[in-house]
Amino acid sequence: MDIIIMAVLTVLAVLAYRGAKRAWVVGLWVLGLVLMLILFKIHATSHLHLNF
Amino acid sequence: MTSASKQSESLVSTLLFWGSVGFVLAYSGVLLGAFSVQLFAHEFPCPLCMLQRYAMILTVIPQLWIVTNSLRGKLKKVEYARCLGMSIIAAVAGSFESTRQILLHIATKGDPGYGSAVLGLHLYTWALITFVVVILYCGGALMAMPYGTPAAPTSPAWRGVARVATWLFLALILANLVAIILLEGFAWILPDDPTKYHLLQQLGFH
Repeated sequence: MDIIIMAVLTVLAVLAYRGAKRAWVVGLWVLGLVLMLILFKIHATSHLHLNF
Repeated sequence: MTSASKQSESLVSTLLFWGSVGFVLAYSGVLLGAFSVQLFAHEFPCPLCMLQRYAMILTVIPQLWIVTNSLRGKLKKVEYARCLGMSIIAAVAGSFESTRQILLHIATKGDPGYGSAVLGLHLYTWALITFVVVILYCGGALMAMPYGTPAAPTSPAWRGVARVATWLFLALILANLVAIILLEGFAWILPDDPTKYHLLQQLGFH
């Protein structure tokens, strides 16, 4: 899922750099944000077995 | 419009443009620092660390859009306001993630925290500070917005500086994409405590 999020962010950054249409940039930005929050929910509700 | 108010609007527009360039450069520095810790200190980012990097990237992308559209002379006030709103939302989301990680290490007595401290604070604590700074900056920029909209300089040298800032950020995003592919491999999510590049192990290189 991290790879999907990072791929979305990469495409989004390239579109923003190239001055793509607002709908594409805002739409992909919202998609990236939602995916990030879903992943956060997956990690925040589970115990992190950190090993130091 | 009087000459004095035109001068004042021009100054605010210039400051807002360089504010966005500085925003992109500052977060590029933060991402570069985090990436250096991963590459040179061999401290692999945990899932929450990566989530904070995504939030930082989501915070910067609207500013990148402001810079590139200003350079093209296409930025409108309404677009600028939208971009500041997007940066604030991403910064709030990122601050939730940083706070979760800080609380996680406070909750466990004797927990030294994840990774090394930089200037006495762990990277996730610094991340929270940067998200708060972003919210304050965007608040200030929204207050200044009635007096001007970001305007790119006409000097080719200064426009080049702004372009280099955007290229640096794009290069860091690409580097992070490669790094996350190596870290996650064929797994759906990152392990809680990554200690190696899983893709290399899965392909038999380790």
